[in-house]
Amino acid sequence: MARREKIVKQLASRVGKPGLALLAGLAVLLLTSQAFALEANEYRQVLGLDSRRVVWFLAQMHLFFGAFVLGVPLFAVIIEIVGWRNGDERFDKLAYEFTSLLSVAYATTAALGGLLAFALFTLYPTFMGYMAGVFKDVFFIYALLFFGETFALYLYYYGWNWLKGTNPYNSTVIWVCRALGVLVLLFGIAFTIGAVGPEMRTDTRWFIILLYILPTGIGFLLIKDRKSSHIFIGIMLNVVGTAIMQAANSWAGFMMSPAGVDAEGVVTGSTWQAFENVLATPVAIHRMLGNLAFGGLVAGSYAAVKFIGAKTAEDKAHYDWMGYIANFVAISALIPLPFAGYYLGREVYSTSAVMGNNMMGGDFSWTFIIQAMLVGSLFILSNYYLWSGMTRIPGAERYYKLIKYILFALIVSFAIWLTPHNLPLTSGEVGRMGGSQYHPMLKFLGLMPAKNAVVNLIILSTFFSFLLYRRGNKVDVASIRGQGQLPRIIIPLAGLAAIAMVGQYAITMLNMDPAELDLPADRAEYMRTLGWMLVFDGAVIALAVVMALFDKGKWGQWLILAVTAFNVTIFLGVYGFVVMEKASPVLRNVAVAQFLQLLACLISVTAIDIFLFRGAKEIGTLNWGRMSVRSQYALLLLTFVITMNMGLMGFIRSGLRGDWHIFGVMRDTSEWGFTPSNFTMTQQVGGAVLLFMAGCAFMFWLGGLTANKKDDD
Amino acid sequence: MTNTMVKVTVFLLVVLGIYLWIGYSITELTGGERTASAAVDVSPEGGEAIYWGKGRCFTCHSVGGQGSAVRGPNHGQFGEKFPLPMGARAAERAKERAEKTGEEFTAVDYIVESLSDPGAYVVKGYKNEMAVVYAPPISLNLNEIKAVVAYMMSLGGDLDMAAIDTEPGELTAGFYGKIAAAAAAGGGDPVAGQLVFEDNCLDCHVVAGEGGEGGEIGPDLSATAKKGLKFIAESILQPGKKITKGFETFVLVDKEGRKVVGLKSRDEGGEVDITKANGEVVTVAKAEIKEITQDSTQSLMPDDLSEAMTVKDYQDVLSFMMLQKGQ
Repeated sequence: MARREKIVKQLASRVGKPGLALLAGLAVLLLTSQAFALEANEYRQVLGLDSRRVVWFLAQMHLFFGAFVLGVPLFAVIIEIVGWRNGDERFDKLAYEFTSLLSVAYATTAALGGLLAFALFTLYPTFMGYMAGVFKDVFFIYALLFFGETFALYLYYYGWNWLKGTNPYNSTVIWVCRALGVLVLLFGIAFTIGAVGPEMRTDTRWFIILLYILPTGIGFLLIKDRKSSHIFIGIMLNVVGTAIMQAANSWAGFMMSPAGVDAEGVVTGSTWQAFENVLATPVAIHRMLGNLAFGGLVAGSYAAVKFIGAKTAEDKAHYDWMGYIANFVAISALIPLPFAGYYLGREVYSTSAVMGNNMMGGDFSWTFIIQAMLVGSLFILSNYYLWSGMTRIPGAERYYKLIKYILFALIVSFAIWLTPHNLPLTSGEVGRMGGSQYHPMLKFLGLMPAKNAVVNLIILSTFFSFLLYRRGNKVDVASIRGQGQLPRIIIPLAGLAAIAMVGQYAITMLNMDPAELDLPADRAEYMRTLGWMLVFDGAVIALAVVMALFDKGKWGQWLILAVTAFNVTIFLGVYGFVVMEKASPVLRNVAVAQFLQLLACLISVTAIDIFLFRGAKEIGTLNWGRMSVRSQYALLLLTFVITMNMGLMGFIRSGLRGDWHIFGVMRDTSEWGFTPSNFTMTQQVGGAVLLFMAGCAFMFWLGGLTANKKDDD
Repeated sequence: MTNTMVKVTVFLLVVLGIYLWIGYSITELTGGERTASAAVDVSPEGGEAIYWGKGRCFTCHSVGGQGSAVRGPNHGQFGEKFPLPMGARAAERAKERAEKTGEEFTAVDYIVESLSDPGAYVVKGYKNEMAVVYAPPISLNLNEIKAVVAYMMSLGGDLDMAAIDTEPGELTAGFYGKIAAAAAAGGGDPVAGQLVFEDNCLDCHVVAGEGGEGGEIGPDLSATAKKGLKFIAESILQPGKKITKGFETFVLVDKEGRKVVGLKSRDEGGEVDITKANGEVVTVAKAEIKEITQDSTQSLMPDDLSEAMTVKDYQDVLSFMMLQKGQ
């Protein structure tokens, strides 16, 4: 103690010769005025409006249209590829129909982006001057990428019919493209092992590999005729679009987790360090999946509106089918989205415990309850839409009886997910609960282990609904043994991928030193339990693969589903509480083990399912168009909900910085430097959603005009 | 189609209406709209504004029935666990603290210590996980901290503004000094940082004329703050990344194959001195040298400090280093 006191005095005298008062004055000056920024912040207003709300609204509108412009091409290329591979012209037409909506949306996005940039530079000049200084290189790259996006988009849209042919190119062109594809993939391998490219975070490296290098390489390999060249252009459109999004995310990430600068904002590192800040890639992953789900659902809402207004059975059938495809793509992206959110949340905590606590237990705890309501609604509505879709499938009535159980599981899971750990209480209420602020039983449901368990069950239930939908009109399963070599390659490959997924983490858990998590050696058993569970899960998948290859695929699927449901929901749901009590840091490993087992289940069961019903005898043909209008409102509601949720999540992400423009570096000293209420959030987001939906209606109307003109021609 | 659009629009408006209603209800339930934190006086009212605003104390604490956070102790009178409000409770805790330390602790001393060094005397049943309130992102200044102390004392305690603000006791003044020093450095605890520095770094480095007992094999760090936080952080975690000129590592191999690694501290008169990491100086005649090479990737500084130090030690050392601005 004496040594500490001596040091306090020494430091005080060393830092400020005139004494402690001056030092305190310096601290006050630093913390209250410039607060680590390089110069005093300047703020301006336009028309006397609240500058923050102006920027917030414009940013929200720009992001909605931007998500549409990035999400719809993703959706369009996926269905164009499906149509191309299956030779189904309907998919091609559907992809084209959606692409036709993009040109108006693209121009609107760019206009809103310009408006947002003007607003930022004029209303927040100091902040934007600083950002422009740190990111000057990225700003220019961002602008150049827009040229790439523009060319790719217009070539993709206007070149649709021009590049429709399937006559093969001459062999030289094909071989050149293949060589380029191989070169890109070889570069990808070198990049993967770190032989080329700068030092970077693992998530950033994989983001670049999976979303830039791999699609480009495969795109080149696909080129053999005009149609495949068109698909390549579509892929490049998405690659460039993703790069634009990643660049913009790096700025948002930097504002939350600045890197490459010191606490006073002085640039001490490289532009790359600032670009690749801790939260940039987790946000990008989350946004990427969100955009895909969003693109699918906006497309679905288009189909729903058209279905509701359709006069003929043919139109109803077309738009029903369109809505189904759009919803299918959206659900595929929705399923992994909670895990991407979990990863992002974990990185937020790693960046700053204060920010993390504020997210889950501070200003945004109630916002997360609204978010849970919205996300829960998304899953319940998606399931409802699938169940409604079963009415168009002859034979699906066999599975109606299961729907009530799925609904029960969803509602219970949803209720648990919504249960907060504690709530503001009156002293009378506290007294009735024995003086505790926690409810004696419900308090457990508000904790992470319970929430992790139910979120996995929600996803598993949705997947189960999808499996029922797929087998609705099938008499029985097809023989896998009779389908030649393909299932013998694909099913074991999918099984291997799933086993590798759980296996690598099993090895990690079996060898993990508790000291890595600041735990004593005797806590190793909690990691080992996870490890052995994952080994068991891998063995179950291997067994199911063998069963599938010997025409017992249905039992194999049941085995994987049952083991996954038990492990992920029941065992780890309960075990999570034990871990929380005895070895709390291991809880995050429990969550990863749950996620990996679920993902392994989805991969392996889907692979088996594809071949189980490939060419299986059907009870009857699907009655496209035989859907209730209610189901179309469900599809519309899905779009409204995901749009509101995007706005809400943006509020949380941005609001986590509190009264900092750049967290810990540049303080927001304006009169708006505080966290707005949830009501303000719903006003801002609701207004933006209303205007965005009006914009969408306008785009759909314009798209309709174009389609009518073409029909007339 | 017009009919359809009307239906869909009405549907959208209903959904948005529900959304707004939920937002409104929650805002009403949680205390209404907020405003930006204005500069506050050193007073209980100012402290209350900081507590429920800029200081974000409400993220972890509640005051009686006000607020809902339970991560940290409730600062009001609340149930059987907290029979006394914070001001009165601080006086009781100060007595316990005095017994443990043998020093005279007042209620104000106890509260100021809890803000300055939250881990010093943690309330039973709670973890030492309180944020450093004078470091980013909370970054309260000394007056704001004093205001919070006044607010805490006003909760059932004997409020003495002089003891809090103008005439603090010796212990409180010491804590204020530490807070001011740490805040000036941008966070961390420089006092603890100096302890860590003295125990781990002073053999090789010099600060303000002290240290370097093991030989000057590390640069003088008296003005290292000028190089910025990033540089200092990297130098601690990856000492080989940017080696200060004059402190490059040399690898000398003599004709008998013996290898010496260290700084080339002298090169004159047909001899070369290599100072090893432990301070030992090895003199080798140039005629005996087979080869001598500079290894620009390796530093004599240990590269496993990130494993040897806790995160807190690391942050504390950083804040101590940020105070070394030269004379």
